Amino acid sequence: MRIPIRMIGIATTFFWIFLIAFFITAVYSVKDVAFNFGEPQMSTNTNGEMTFSLPVTISNRGFYNIGAFTIVTQVFDTEGLSIVQGSTVVPLIRKDEDVTVMHNMTINAGDLLERDENYLFNDSELMIYAAVGMHIAEVIPVEASTNFTMPWGAPLYDFALGDPAYMPYNATHFRVTVPISFENHAFFDLIGSMQIRMYNSTRARIGRGETSLNAYANSPYSGFIDFYVSMVGVTPSGEFRVSFSTSLFDYGALVIPYG
Amino acid sequence: MANNNNHNSKKTHRNFLFKAIKATAKAIIFYVIYLFLWSFLAPVSEFVPGLQQMIEAFVMVYIVLMIVGDLASGTIFQYFFNVAKALFVIGYLIISLGGGIFGMTFENINLMVDLRFFLAVATLLGLLGLAKSVLQAVNYMSEKAEYGRV
Repeated sequence: MRIPIRMIGIATTFFWIFLIAFFITAVYSVKDVAFNFGEPQMSTNTNGEMTFSLPVTISNRGFYNIGAFTIVTQVFDTEGLSIVQGSTVVPLIRKDEDVTVMHNMTINAGDLLERDENYLFNDSELMIYAAVGMHIAEVIPVEASTNFTMPWGAPLYDFALGDPAYMPYNATHFRVTVPISFENHAFFDLIGSMQIRMYNSTRARIGRGETSLNAYANSPYSGFIDFYVSMVGVTPSGEFRVSFSTSLFDYGALVIPYG
Repeated sequence: MANNNNHNSKKTHRNFLFKAIKATAKAIIFYVIYLFLWSFLAPVSEFVPGLQQMIEAFVMVYIVLMIVGDLASGTIFQYFFNVAKALFVIGYLIISLGGGIFGMTFENINLMVDLRFFLAVATLLGLLGLAKSVLQAVNYMSEKAEYGRV
């Protein structure tokens, strides 16, 4: 019986040495894994989508391969509801290998506004959940996660129409000039058009106009819109109904009373 | 007769001294190995509060059980201490690793390490060690019974 016991002892010792050596070298090699997060880029496309791209370079100088390298980001609104989620997976990063991946997260501006139109007019805070996970030596899963907030700049912050100014155009019509002002707090340029319809106090439409918008990111905008209204229908008070059509979103009608 | 007793006592003392020296040497070697391996884990310990204390406590208890087991070698108690050592390894690993999912928070970052695979293998090896100690105890008792009969 002594020989089998001795064999068990030798086998146990061998496996213990192997396990401890493997574990320690696996943990030790983590310090030789470097992550480099590049400059985040924001871009928009004609489908009304805003894409957030983050280049990530992983340099594996450890003793082992890294398996299932994953980056997950999720954006939540102020009420904690998920707006968008992005996920990037690199199945295998071999040792002594550098890998660069682009982590993309695409938000549809239309979807965002469907949730809450306040994103157009009021600055807000978006909650971001970010997690980076990997399998050290392809067998030890490790995940680091964090939550942080990111400011959301409203593209039509403090949007206001000034008092309409009436100038006689001909015997039957006025030329109306309405000042427009807002601040584009968003990270993207606001390029598109704005339509305005003027209603009198009896809710009859008396005129409509359109102007192009070109508001650069993080800058104030002021302009005006001209259109013609019938002298007969004009009343001291009424309302404007404003619609926006931009490359990122269509919104309207925003009702703004005048008079 | 008195001379014979004196000789036996001397032999017992010498035996015990030899066991003590052997146990001390093993403990020193074990501790040196620990210090060597710790140098690899030291960078990680900066991010894991309590890791050094956790491992040190384990090493200390293990060394004590090892020394006591060695001092009791040649008796049935050696195997008791070996069983205790194997159970301690299994228990300590399970308790200190929290079932294999090891989580901590560093500033605003939550770190989660899934050591279930490591824990499973370590537990199996611990059980193998336990089985070995039990077999040794059985073997010791059977040999003692055999020699007693002869």
